[in-house]
Amino acid sequence: MNRKLWMLANVFVLAALVLAACGGGTPAPAQPQQPAQPEQPQQPAAEEITIRWRTRPDNQEEINVYSTISKELDAQLDGIKLVYEPGGTEGANYQDQLRTEVAAGTAPDVFWIPGTDIADFATRGLILNIADLAARTEGFDVNAFYPGPMYHLTYNPANGQSGANSGALWGLPRDVSTFALYLNLDLIEEAGAPDPRELAKQGKWDWEAFLDVAKKTRALGSDIYGYGASAWWGPYGVWLNAAGGGFFNADRTACALNTPESLKGLEFQRALYQEHDVAVPYGEDPEPPFRAGKVAMFQNGRWATPGIRTVTFNWDVVELPKGPNGHMGNWLFWGAYVINAKTQHPEQAWKLLQALTTAETQGKVAALGANIPSRVGQEAFDAFLTFTPPANNQAFLNGLADNPATEGPLWAGSWPEYDKIMGPAIQAVLTGSKTVEEFGATICDEANKAFNK
Amino acid sequence: MTHASHPAGELLTPHTLLVLRLLAAWRALFSLLALLGALAPWTGLLPGLPVWQGLLISVALGLAAVFSLLASRDILLRRHRGRMLSLVLDYLSLVACFIAVLQIGGVFLGIDALGEVFGRSIWFLFVVLAGYLLGAAGDYFLHDPRTEALLRQIGKWVMLFGALAFLVVANLPQGLLALARNLANPAGLGAVAGMVVFGLALWAMWRSPTALALNARTGHEQMLSGWLFLSPNLLGFLIFFAGPLLLSFYFSFTDSDAFNPPNWVGLANYARILNVTIKPLASPDQLAREVLDISVYDEVGRLKIGNGGLLFGAEDRFFWLALRNTLMYALAVVPLSVIPALVLANILNSKLPGMKFFRAVYFIPSIAAIVGIALVWQWLYNATVGYINYFITLAVEFLNNTFQAGLTDPKIRWVSDERTALLSIIIIAAWQTMGFNTVLFLAGLQNIPGELYEAATVDGAGAWDKFWRITLPLLAPSTFYVVSTTTIQAMQVFEQVFILMNPPEGPNNSTITLVLYLYRSGFQNFKQGYASALAWVLFIVIFGLTLIQFRQQRRSSIYEN
Repeated sequence: MNRKLWMLANVFVLAALVLAACGGGTPAPAQPQQPAQPEQPQQPAAEEITIRWRTRPDNQEEINVYSTISKELDAQLDGIKLVYEPGGTEGANYQDQLRTEVAAGTAPDVFWIPGTDIADFATRGLILNIADLAARTEGFDVNAFYPGPMYHLTYNPANGQSGANSGALWGLPRDVSTFALYLNLDLIEEAGAPDPRELAKQGKWDWEAFLDVAKKTRALGSDIYGYGASAWWGPYGVWLNAAGGGFFNADRTACALNTPESLKGLEFQRALYQEHDVAVPYGEDPEPPFRAGKVAMFQNGRWATPGIRTVTFNWDVVELPKGPNGHMGNWLFWGAYVINAKTQHPEQAWKLLQALTTAETQGKVAALGANIPSRVGQEAFDAFLTFTPPANNQAFLNGLADNPATEGPLWAGSWPEYDKIMGPAIQAVLTGSKTVEEFGATICDEANKAFNK
Repeated sequence: MTHASHPAGELLTPHTLLVLRLLAAWRALFSLLALLGALAPWTGLLPGLPVWQGLLISVALGLAAVFSLLASRDILLRRHRGRMLSLVLDYLSLVACFIAVLQIGGVFLGIDALGEVFGRSIWFLFVVLAGYLLGAAGDYFLHDPRTEALLRQIGKWVMLFGALAFLVVANLPQGLLALARNLANPAGLGAVAGMVVFGLALWAMWRSPTALALNARTGHEQMLSGWLFLSPNLLGFLIFFAGPLLLSFYFSFTDSDAFNPPNWVGLANYARILNVTIKPLASPDQLAREVLDISVYDEVGRLKIGNGGLLFGAEDRFFWLALRNTLMYALAVVPLSVIPALVLANILNSKLPGMKFFRAVYFIPSIAAIVGIALVWQWLYNATVGYINYFITLAVEFLNNTFQAGLTDPKIRWVSDERTALLSIIIIAAWQTMGFNTVLFLAGLQNIPGELYEAATVDGAGAWDKFWRITLPLLAPSTFYVVSTTTIQAMQVFEQVFILMNPPEGPNNSTITLVLYLYRSGFQNFKQGYASALAWVLFIVIFGLTLIQFRQQRRSSIYEN
């Protein structure tokens, strides 16, 4: 009997597992991934519609906050059952995983994408144009959000117009962010350099003052650096912007990397790495040495704050130094919640989208310190200033107030293609294997091809 | 089941005859349905279906219709071929219906949630196991029937309790309800009905009276059993390997972006990859735009010759940069992971104490997760706080202080300098692959007869002569296997680059590799069609290299046979 019984038990276990797998299921089209909550998933009531949503958290704390928000909104939104999926981090290829799921038709009903991806997703029909839903919604106003992101989120490629009446709305911004310089105050004091925060208050925080602080701190030792920034388009772009240049021309239809202003910004940055040798070598991750107390000024966004809060030295932030054209050249980073074009419940997804971007919800996320609310308003600013440390949160708001360039997609071209050409070329300059002149002579010949694709 | 001893089909009962007629009719009906299904994609019944899927459906169902019709005729003529065809068609259809039931029932996607549920319920499987062991313990009390029966009874009840508890905790009731709910639609019910019908047809055709009536022999049964056992693997191969392979070949002739129906572009993707030009340069620093049509080509590289030179341009320069980097990488990694492995294997093959320990130690990098390895090396390579530079600095200071060497600390920027970025990847790969190759060489070494070495010793051969004249030639098959698999692996390098480098392409594209470029094109730039073409070009390159190695092996393997 035993052998037969043993076989039967095995078959039984397998069959039970297969059937149990159905127990975690939710109605189409949104099929369940790994449930966000450890508790036993509850079956929604028959009349409830399940909406899956996903956003990219940077750490477990953010996952916890989003999970809590999901539960609270679940209770608020009648007839909607929410399922939150963390979806990994940038290191875990949030975007790649999401695109694969979109292609397979299993992506969530609502998901977050970075601002640079909006055009690709919109023009390929992967996200829903919710302009009609928004128009039917009483009290909804696109002007409640920062105008930069809303320009792209309301851009209609069919008529080339943007704004409340363009006939297009691709999503709502989750949050915004800008760069600031995270300061190791102990190093700066030890070097006898002036306090950048004081210089900024006095209006004297410019490239020259920045270089002075960087040089003085670098002189502390061969393993101490004055400045550090990561190797992607954000950090190097600010120097081009601050010199009056930029990546694109005004209407974002052609390369502007070879303009005298852009080259001036690049030249200053090259000198930081090559001539003055004050920066952590380009391409090396500057965060570990900053955390180890070996970098005086670390350029990063608000999202780095939770991690920096764990360092043991005295630290604060200061806005970016002003460039030759009197501006910092900062970016307005943003990402948006969008609705899957294949969702079967657009009305419910739209309700969730609005609920996720209320001042109250954004305030809960911003309290973690990683984000700045995407709604414009003194109330949001006042709340943000209380999320310390850093003490000088105003530095981020100053960055927002200084006419930052909006991170955005290329409606007339392919941003990934453009970035693929621009990134290595800039890196070649900053690591000393190409001169600025050589860069300027050829870059737009190559980069302009991204506008035809 | 053996039928060879029975007279074939002479003593048919009316019931068997009826079954045969029904099966022949079923085959005719199946053929008709399959034919209608084959035409469906072209009648507008399946709107939005991509052409390739329509073709696939038509070809598969068309073939099924033809074979089913053939089988129907064979059954009426009592030919065993009809039975074989019927079994194959019904089995495949049953599998298809079963997969459809799982899909429509939401089982595949629900499996993600199973990990959590299983974690809670697994403990009750131990109760089931305990019950089984308790029942099995009855075997030790054969002399005492009462105790034996009692133990078996208790064991059964314990197993039953454990099983029920497992089912409840594993959400089986909810699972059954969800399955029923998901299947309560025309597609779901159709798939269930299909399973029942195909299952019955299979059973009717498989049973002994039918087999006898259709002249089944022992050989037929053995063959069918063989195919049946092989079928899970074969179907898996066809669905998950051969299918995607052919699909990617089709996609390579389209502009597929993975989201929208692809358009046929012929050889355009391949033409773009292979479109290159070489132009003479008036001076070594002449701008590319002065000699190239920059609306089409980009500069890949230039060769300086005297006061002039040659400029190499390509429509897709990233492909050529990736090919160059990949070949350079393979050229370095293969010898660096094969030659040290050979030396190491010879050392580990000796009978010195502790060799088994070292065999395990050298093998560890091969089984360690590549992501973890790359992250560790990322820290080691860090130019400012990494251990490698730290030890170099210590060594330089020591030499300068002790010997007044006057050395300068190189402060190597391992991953951020285009001169060392690829080298950094090569070091990791060689370190990681060496252990595995060592094990392969060890296996080869242990196959070499010891008598040969003894004879060589008697003849006065030294250690080097033995290695050069015995070990190396007799290791040729192992060496060929190691070299060819290491080359194939090297040509497919991806993970190390993707994780270690930031951005993965490295400074000035110095670490862009073919698979990395393929991945970027397909999954980040929405160009699945182009990425498929890149994959096939990579396949041709690897195939060519392997072919060369095969030919070289045939020429040099004098000791084979």
